[in-house]
Amino acid sequence: MPDIIVCFKWVIDEAYIRTGSSGALDFRSVNYKLSDYDRNAIEAAVRLKEECGGTVTAVTVGTPGATKGLKDALSRGPDKACFVNDQSFDNLEPSQTAAILTDVIKGRLEYDLIICGEGSSDLYAQQVGPRLAEALGIPCVSFVQKLSIDGNRIIAERKVEEGINIMAAQLPALVTVVPDINNPRIPGVKDTLMASKKEVISVTADDLPATYEPALQTVSMTAASMERNCITFPADQAGIQAFVEALAKEGVLR
Amino acid sequence: MAGIWIFAESLEQTKELLSIGSTLASKLGTMTSVFLQGNTGVADDYIACGADEVLVLTALAEDQPLDAYIPVIAAEAQTADPDIFLIAATVRGKDIAARLAARLKTGLCSECIGLKADENDRTIEMERFAYGGAAIQTVVCSTRPVMVTIIPRTFEAAARQSDRKGTIRELPAAPPSASTVLERKPKETEAKDISESRIVVCAGRGIEKKEDLSLVQELAAALGGEIGCTRPISEESHWLPEDLCIGISGISVKPALYIGLGVSGQVQHITGIRDAKVICAVNKDENAPIFGASDYGIVGDLYDVAPKLSDAVKNMKG
Repeated sequence: MPDIIVCFKWVIDEAYIRTGSSGALDFRSVNYKLSDYDRNAIEAAVRLKEECGGTVTAVTVGTPGATKGLKDALSRGPDKACFVNDQSFDNLEPSQTAAILTDVIKGRLEYDLIICGEGSSDLYAQQVGPRLAEALGIPCVSFVQKLSIDGNRIIAERKVEEGINIMAAQLPALVTVVPDINNPRIPGVKDTLMASKKEVISVTADDLPATYEPALQTVSMTAASMERNCITFPADQAGIQAFVEALAKEGVLR
Repeated sequence: MAGIWIFAESLEQTKELLSIGSTLASKLGTMTSVFLQGNTGVADDYIACGADEVLVLTALAEDQPLDAYIPVIAAEAQTADPDIFLIAATVRGKDIAARLAARLKTGLCSECIGLKADENDRTIEMERFAYGGAAIQTVVCSTRPVMVTIIPRTFEAAARQSDRKGTIRELPAAPPSASTVLERKPKETEAKDISESRIVVCAGRGIEKKEDLSLVQELAAALGGEIGCTRPISEESHWLPEDLCIGISGISVKPALYIGLGVSGQVQHITGIRDAKVICAVNKDENAPIFGASDYGIVGDLYDVAPKLSDAVKNMKG
């Protein structure tokens, strides 16, 4: 019966990011969400548990403000969570997140399988999973769309450009999953109530053996602006005609 | 030792990275080294396209995945200490890059869309998309090597030059892998490549049933274009192959004309069409974000508008 760790990230919901008049990003009215691909990762872990038994521990690294994310993650079925939090764990770059996770997992958590989303919805660097596998010295199969456990190994369908590679790796192993792997469940009221009763292990920077310096520095984060005409026409015959004439004028109807 | 290193899966990808690598190398006064898997026949081609050194990786066993090369490349990097390592951002390339970066304890700029080197202080500023394409993040790396993955077809491929000389060196064989490939299955259906199409009509969530895709097809036919789709159509409904899914996690298109039918315009999708010359949209929700990213739009029900639009286009083209 496998012990599964699933990693998740609590991120800014990009749908709430506005561009200010100066072209700078406006984060004032943002909401947070569970990173999209991590919903698939949690669902994959919970389904494996439903099939094979074992345990699921959800792990996240972030600022103390990410507590809402714990409840969200736990409402999706994991047994417990590990909350690695510190005021300094804000805007981490992938090498830092992977190093922190490595130290937390090595010292505290039992595992046969680690599941991560293919990337996070905010930075989408797609590095933490593979980096973590290397640091732990375990096999890594990334971009997996189907996953099963066969004795002491995993069988994983890896989605590659030209098709699918069916991969096998001995446990313990790490996989990153793509959204095709499942449709994540939507937690109900009962799930949310149960989530608040589940165990949360809190780990802070003081409990960790190292300081984690970034290798990448963000110099700037600017709006990806696009200058467009933004002209709209009504849906009547005249509007449609004017629309087609505008396209003809642009020289795109040939 | 130093230099610009290049690792890609195919000849075309390697040549593309060579064009960036050679520019960086001449700016920083260093050389370029290119990894080559198995087939040594193209080594001279790489040299002609700008490689100063070709590092030949021994062919892998049938069941070995490409990541079996990680220990070989990491060992080579530890001796040669390259300045910059460019890797094509394919599925396997991204995985290998992240794992090599972990082994070499360095930073990695994933899916870089532009980079520039400062010849005085030798820093490399790299740009990439963040927040689903809503933002551009500029990063620098303070560790060595500076690692970068680049999505294939972001830059021009390097051209052959005459009279170029380079060296060819064989690397040790890869050790046994921790994971094995049991089977390689090709794609069942090969969809048309629309990344270079001149006109693209895109089906969005506003399409209610699979049969209604005919409305999209008719408009595309009237315009002489191809059809694409948003993520819900390919990934959730599976009405169209995912090779036609436009967006940050799918393909990018750069047509002269893009028309979205029932496309709401989430930033992830918009990122895939930002290089289109003219962007148009038909959506019944006047507040749909697609209108903010469009040159021309029609606020209306696509079921009513699309057939009329197809007719109007046919009339206009005569």
